[in-house]
Amino acid sequence: MSELQTIESALSGVARRRRWAAALRGLWIGLLTGALISLFVDGVYHLSPLPFWTRTAAALAPFPCSLAGLILGGWRRLGMAEAARWVDGREHLKERLSTALEVASQPTAGAWRDLVIADAARHAGQLDPRRIVPFGLPGKVARWALVALALGAGLGFVPEYRTQRFLQSQTDRQLIREAGRQLADLSRRTLQARQPALEPRAEKALETLSDLGDRLNKATLTRGDALKDIANVSERLKDELRDLAKDPVLNRLEQAARSSGAGDSQSAAGLQKQIDSLQKQLGAPTGNPQALEKLSKDLDKLRQAAKGLDDKNSPAGQQQRNDISKALSALSRQAQEMGLQMPHLNDAINALDANQTELFLKDLQASVTDLDKLNDMAKTLQQLQQQMDKLGKDLAEQLKNGQPEAAQKTLEKMASQLTAANLPPGTLQNIAAEVAKAVGPAGHYGSLAGLLGKAGKQLAASDKAGASRSLSDAAKELERLAQQMGDAQSIAAELQALNQVAAAIASGKEWRPGNRPGRSGLGEGGGTGGGVGTWADENAEWNGQWSDHWDNTGFDRDDQDARGHTDRGEGDLSAALKPSKVRGQFSPGNPMPSVTLRNVSIKGQSKLDYEAAAATAQSDAQSALTHEQVPRAYQGAVREYFDDLKK
Amino acid sequence: METQQAIESFRDTYAALRAEIGTVIVGHDAIVEGVLIALFAHGHVLLEGVPGLGKTLLVRTLSEVLDLSFNRIQFTPDLMPADILGTNIVMEAAGGRRQFEFQQGPVFAHLLLADEINRATPKTQSALLEAMQEHQVTAGGQLRKLAEPFFVMATQNPIDQEGTYPLPEAQLDRFFFKLLVGYPSGPELAEVLSRTTAGERPNIRKILTGQTLCELMNLVREVPVASHVQDYAVRLVLATHPKPETAAPIASQHLRFGSSPRGGQTLMLAGKVRALIEGRFNVSFDDIQAVAPSALRHRLILNFEAEAEGIATDQIITQILNDVPRDAQTVNA
Repeated sequence: MSELQTIESALSGVARRRRWAAALRGLWIGLLTGALISLFVDGVYHLSPLPFWTRTAAALAPFPCSLAGLILGGWRRLGMAEAARWVDGREHLKERLSTALEVASQPTAGAWRDLVIADAARHAGQLDPRRIVPFGLPGKVARWALVALALGAGLGFVPEYRTQRFLQSQTDRQLIREAGRQLADLSRRTLQARQPALEPRAEKALETLSDLGDRLNKATLTRGDALKDIANVSERLKDELRDLAKDPVLNRLEQAARSSGAGDSQSAAGLQKQIDSLQKQLGAPTGNPQALEKLSKDLDKLRQAAKGLDDKNSPAGQQQRNDISKALSALSRQAQEMGLQMPHLNDAINALDANQTELFLKDLQASVTDLDKLNDMAKTLQQLQQQMDKLGKDLAEQLKNGQPEAAQKTLEKMASQLTAANLPPGTLQNIAAEVAKAVGPAGHYGSLAGLLGKAGKQLAASDKAGASRSLSDAAKELERLAQQMGDAQSIAAELQALNQVAAAIASGKEWRPGNRPGRSGLGEGGGTGGGVGTWADENAEWNGQWSDHWDNTGFDRDDQDARGHTDRGEGDLSAALKPSKVRGQFSPGNPMPSVTLRNVSIKGQSKLDYEAAAATAQSDAQSALTHEQVPRAYQGAVREYFDDLKK
Repeated sequence: METQQAIESFRDTYAALRAEIGTVIVGHDAIVEGVLIALFAHGHVLLEGVPGLGKTLLVRTLSEVLDLSFNRIQFTPDLMPADILGTNIVMEAAGGRRQFEFQQGPVFAHLLLADEINRATPKTQSALLEAMQEHQVTAGGQLRKLAEPFFVMATQNPIDQEGTYPLPEAQLDRFFFKLLVGYPSGPELAEVLSRTTAGERPNIRKILTGQTLCELMNLVREVPVASHVQDYAVRLVLATHPKPETAAPIASQHLRFGSSPRGGQTLMLAGKVRALIEGRFNVSFDDIQAVAPSALRHRLILNFEAEAEGIATDQIITQILNDVPRDAQTVNA
């Protein structure tokens, strides 16, 4: 290795280490910069409500900053001449190396060149790059970077300062977003489930609801803005409904559907199937539900009497047993006469005869339970039979009762019969008679009467093919009307949902669409707990069943009674919790009194009729009572209040 | 290797000169070094100091160690230029014919001691201008070359203000170094007393001939200088110029005029000599810094403000050396 190469080798080693040292220093400076940025942003975040992503970005800032510092620090390559000057200065080599490199490129330097290079090489040979450029922590920078990082980490445990107003607005925003998301999902599901048969206007109205949901979900709205938007869309939907209500055909259909209840919701075949199934389960009971209920009450009385039986060896006790045995035998006979199979009752009689009181009571309880079940089934059977009775028997009755789906099926059946090759004799006349009879009731169904009239004429002229087409057209017309009716119902349902959303947002409560049992309507935060205190299951739902007994199964304490189900008696609320009636000052035609909700003031004229509002509220309350969504202690008060309202 | 031998010869000669001068002159190492640097750089020296510090003795000793012709001029207010340069006088030839013949003045010597140079009038002082710069004199319409090497060693007393004439800037600039001779330390003074009050004056050996000196002066000029070291000298000189773009802040505030290019030349040549003295083959920043005060102090002209505040040029030079970075491309660790 020549002397010049010795110099260059030593200098390149130093230059390389210098580059790495600069890169490491850059890394620490970057870390310090990132840590300071992080600390600053986190500090600001703790004092003022920046978006949460800024905190995440601030927490991550030291990493890219360190990387950038490393790259920037190591980016610059140190040249040989520069390294020579630096080493000269650092090692006090009196510019030997830099001069040597310079004269090395000057061949005219002659003997001086050799002397200078030899002198420099002698010094370069003693250079140790690791000693000259040690890798270590850059004192102050590293110290401050670590301090800044520690402060940033510590700041993470300090709770943020937020004003009550901000927290409220955040909660509102979250509620609005969640409500918007649910609303958008609901309206999209509705649109996907059945495409609207009405004009594009109706579809557009439903799409507007979906857009509103998206807007509530994505845009940052205040409570007031959200309520305004909801009110606007609500007005549009009401206008749509009002326009639909002007259609006499739909109006008629709606009235018919309302008066017939759920009669059209199930077909006659479906109802018959359910009736057959229940009758099979019941056997062949001849008694009605009232008789079964009476039987059940009698049995329950006997059970209560049996609880207080005297000692079996005493004459009074023997007498009581005989009385109960006789009464039971009579009830058993009565049950057999009603066609009921009650094996537990016979077992109870046998147990009583054998003086096995415990077994007797148990069998008697089982008999009461069986009887209650039979009673429920009998009631259901009775309701189904009533529904069956309401179903129209022919086309005219179906149209008259407002059962378009049943009428549509009848018409389709007629049309298919007319196209059959071997039409049974007399069938044509029967169809013609039924169609002729239905022309009158069909007058409420728009062009249906015309189509039926045309079919009647074609039947009279024995034009079976033409009559079949006319009847098919009539069936299609009915289908279209049914779809329009469904659209109107969809809009009404959406409107109802929208009103619920508005009420939820205005009162600062969560809203979920009522598509899940126990979770419908408004809810305060999470769902109803399935337990107590910290053991509460936030995701549990109330199953709608109230028990008469208090479940002490999990208790095992000396200061408490035995475990098991115990009767908690009648609900008795404290005076503070007892509901009280608040009579409103509403009167038809007058302005509504202003209702001030938390942070929201809604004033203005009510466009809803008082009677309609009261009826809707009463219907909702009745529904809640029926589904046992009202606590037992409140049921009486709620019923009484809404009955008053109805009056 | 001839160059290496010449360099070793230079060092030996320098060491011998120091040793020989040291037998007479006690202490004043920096002054002796400065004088020798100027000698090898072929420059003139202005020695300034109060009387009795050995300025004249130093020059006389130098003349004795050098195998060169030596003349001494005692400058007085009535000294005329012709007294320095020489003059044409009427001479009678062998045939009785009379003719003007030039009678050389004391300037015609290798080493000229201009003692108390500031006592002569500016007119007389100016007689040395041409001799110092161009090593020639013009007298009687004729140009006469001086013998090489030619050195002027001048002394002046800074405290005697009566009957003195400050040297003009043009003449000051022609001095390679201005060396300030200070008081000796206690041990040095004791040694001076011992040597001068007991026994005889030691015999001085001739160390260096004129021809060898010329060879060594040529050797000095061959010493390589790195470009960034030369750039440092340039920046130092420019920093003394009271111009906003290059001047150091203190120069702008306190200087009326800065160093001439001769200042830069002095820095380079003196640096080269110092490098050889130190045993190096190249000039370093330290060399430049070491010679800067001697090279620049007489070339900076203070303004009224600086003179009123009593600021010395040495203070300004020290500040400039602090302000001007050694390497313009300094790489910080």
